[in-house]
Amino acid sequence: MTDTRIPGKTYYEIGQRPQEITLKVDGAKPLHRHRLPFTRRHLLKWRSRLNPKTLRQERMLADKNPLWWTLALGLLLVSAPFLSNSALTVAAVFCMFSAINVLWTLIIGTAGIFSLATLAVVGVGAYASAALNVYLGLPWPLMFVAGGVAGLVMGALLALPSTRLDGLYYALLTMGVAEICRVFVQQLKPLTPMNGSINNVQGFIPADWALQRLGLLLGFAGAFVLLLLALLTFRVVNSERLGMLLQTAREEEAYAEAIGIDYRRARMQVFLISSAGLGVTGAFYAQYFGSISPQVFSLDQLMVLFAMIVIGGLGRAEGAVIGTALVVLIDKGLLDLGPLRILLVAAIMLAVTLTTNNGLTGIREQFRGFRRRRQSEARARRTEKGGEVMPEEAIDINDKQAIYYRRFDKRLRDRLKALVTPDVIEEHRQKPLGQHSDALSRLLNYFRRGEVADKYAIIRQAGNFHSYKIVAFSGVRGAPPRLVDDRIYTDINEAYHAVFLLRVNDLMES
Amino acid sequence: MDMSTLLIYGLSLAAIYGLMAIGISLLWSSIGMINMAHGASFAVAGYAAFSVAELAKPLILATLGKSLAGTVAMAGLCLSAGALTGAMMGALIYLLAFLPIHDKPNFAVRSLIVTLAINLATVQLLLWFFGPKQRNLPKIFGLGKVEFLGLSARYDQIGTILGTAVILGLLLFWLKVSRKGLEIRAMMQNPEGAVLSGISVRWTALPVTMLTGALAGLAAVLLSQSIFVSPTSGAMPLIKGLTISLLGGLGSVPGAVFGAVIIGFLEAVIGAVPWLGQRYVLFGTFLFIIAVLVIRPRGIGGLLDKARK
Repeated sequence: MTDTRIPGKTYYEIGQRPQEITLKVDGAKPLHRHRLPFTRRHLLKWRSRLNPKTLRQERMLADKNPLWWTLALGLLLVSAPFLSNSALTVAAVFCMFSAINVLWTLIIGTAGIFSLATLAVVGVGAYASAALNVYLGLPWPLMFVAGGVAGLVMGALLALPSTRLDGLYYALLTMGVAEICRVFVQQLKPLTPMNGSINNVQGFIPADWALQRLGLLLGFAGAFVLLLLALLTFRVVNSERLGMLLQTAREEEAYAEAIGIDYRRARMQVFLISSAGLGVTGAFYAQYFGSISPQVFSLDQLMVLFAMIVIGGLGRAEGAVIGTALVVLIDKGLLDLGPLRILLVAAIMLAVTLTTNNGLTGIREQFRGFRRRRQSEARARRTEKGGEVMPEEAIDINDKQAIYYRRFDKRLRDRLKALVTPDVIEEHRQKPLGQHSDALSRLLNYFRRGEVADKYAIIRQAGNFHSYKIVAFSGVRGAPPRLVDDRIYTDINEAYHAVFLLRVNDLMES
Repeated sequence: MDMSTLLIYGLSLAAIYGLMAIGISLLWSSIGMINMAHGASFAVAGYAAFSVAELAKPLILATLGKSLAGTVAMAGLCLSAGALTGAMMGALIYLLAFLPIHDKPNFAVRSLIVTLAINLATVQLLLWFFGPKQRNLPKIFGLGKVEFLGLSARYDQIGTILGTAVILGLLLFWLKVSRKGLEIRAMMQNPEGAVLSGISVRWTALPVTMLTGALAGLAAVLLSQSIFVSPTSGAMPLIKGLTISLLGGLGSVPGAVFGAVIIGFLEAVIGAVPWLGQRYVLFGTFLFIIAVLVIRPRGIGGLLDKARK
């Protein structure tokens, strides 16, 4: 297409996504899309469409999230070798907490179970695997299995009351479970001689590498892999069959049950899967730090984690990761700030919850809702003015003829409105039929040409000869006309004039 | 510990927990907010009473001396300072956690998070200003023991039990007879219906938050007769209050009182049994509450169909 723009003149891009990058479609080449091996899934969600403005076929990315994820995680991975030792630890802690929060999001968001026993499950997995490693010499790869099994058992125990209790009751009950675990672990003297903690856990980091540069790098790599696995679990559970079932159930439980979705069972399955994942994370936690202490069960730690997912936005993986990044950076990265850190976290929590509906990741949706509301308000104001199509509405209308017709109609009505005077009305009252003045015949011609829907008609009452009522057509074949009012006119000319007045009234109001 | 000491100890615990639990329960049932900053109100009120007592001690010693009038003046000063500060904290919670978001989506979760943030910030600020050192409030009921009917009780225990009974009685009476109390009870029964009959949510929520804050403040002054004031001293009463209001059924005042009595005695008994001891107190109460909730999911006093949505 040749560029017909006049140089030097300012042009404004209109439409909702003027900057969207699109690919040109080459019609000669066959469409070839790569699938992930053994699945029917595609890596990226490409969609083709006809651009209504350029009238050309184009291909655009419908879901850009994979790009952002790859970019963010890739940046983290690439920058890791250049980080200082302390920053590397912060990054590893971030990955670990992110993994926990992503799995927790699965429980709270996907399964809809408001459980606060996340750290309890992590702790149980960590203690079980650490104890097996220290006292029975379990090799480290099997620790993950042990942690997972312990998490699964703990999850099964926690899942039992979740069907009976709802919402808040369950949340506070699970908070109690963490406390019970803490006391239990501290009292288990033969297992935890050191004031409740188990030390000298052998892990995937060799003992002579501990706290060395290589050990830290290896620890970060492990944590990164853990985060990737957690994200994979989230993707597989949340957007595949289980997640779809639960999404239906979340909108309308009774409906989901009626069409045969056993949402309770699906919830349990999600809960158990993420509990096992949390157990594995616990085993990793114990290996990374080489020890595990009852601190993991403390209420403060839980609240900090909760603050993370709340700041990011409940129910979304990116929310969990962004919130974790923010809070871990403040809490572990700005150590010199001292107690001010917690105040900063609290202030961020306050600001985020007071201003956003669902955390930082919900801002986009909230802003769009706000913009849509403002747009529709403005559109309503314009429609009041005359019903002409405005540019951003025009791109949504495929039949361009309709746009021009509405513009013509609006101008016509503006002219006709000026013609309505008491003289014209009086003229019509005296002589509804016959030859009229120019102004009146223009008005009547416009009225006669109107659409059938809501057009007025005079109906003669059955049984009475001079008795008329005014009705309006429905415009739908088979649907009867509606009665405009109950008034009975005994003179046909009077009825003609009443219809005329109604039409004039509609014209002046439009 | 013999039975009589156990009885008095259990009752005094029940009194303080009851004050906390009723505050939480009332707030939830009338405006649908779980107040995680209740512990912060508790701690701040404790510190306020402490500061006022420190300031007024020389004055009272100079004018009234170590007489009964001096003790009474000190008691009144401490209690009113605690209650007033608690009410101020309640108003702060109202301004931050209720007013801006009460008509927005996800109010229940968002207010919980805001109160949590207030709690975090308040504890840090207290640590900053007063340091981690534990402070001691003046003994407003005096020191000593009294014996009657074979029971022996310390003055502060008797004071706590009687004081709580009087406060609760006044509170229930006020809820029963006053216009505002009627509005609050209407909100508890059916928030939508209350709004439809012309009760303002905002102007009902303010007295409720201030009142529950004042209850927390009174509980702080009373509890500090047996333990110390510290920045984190609000955490335990908060957890106890929450769990007891759950046990009693959120929104049920008699349930909260009953739950407080049960938990108070349970704690006293577990603490007294030789092979369990003080460290198993929390463990035992939580197990008990979980068992009760599994059997009766809405708590003792809660009805299944009357739960707030």
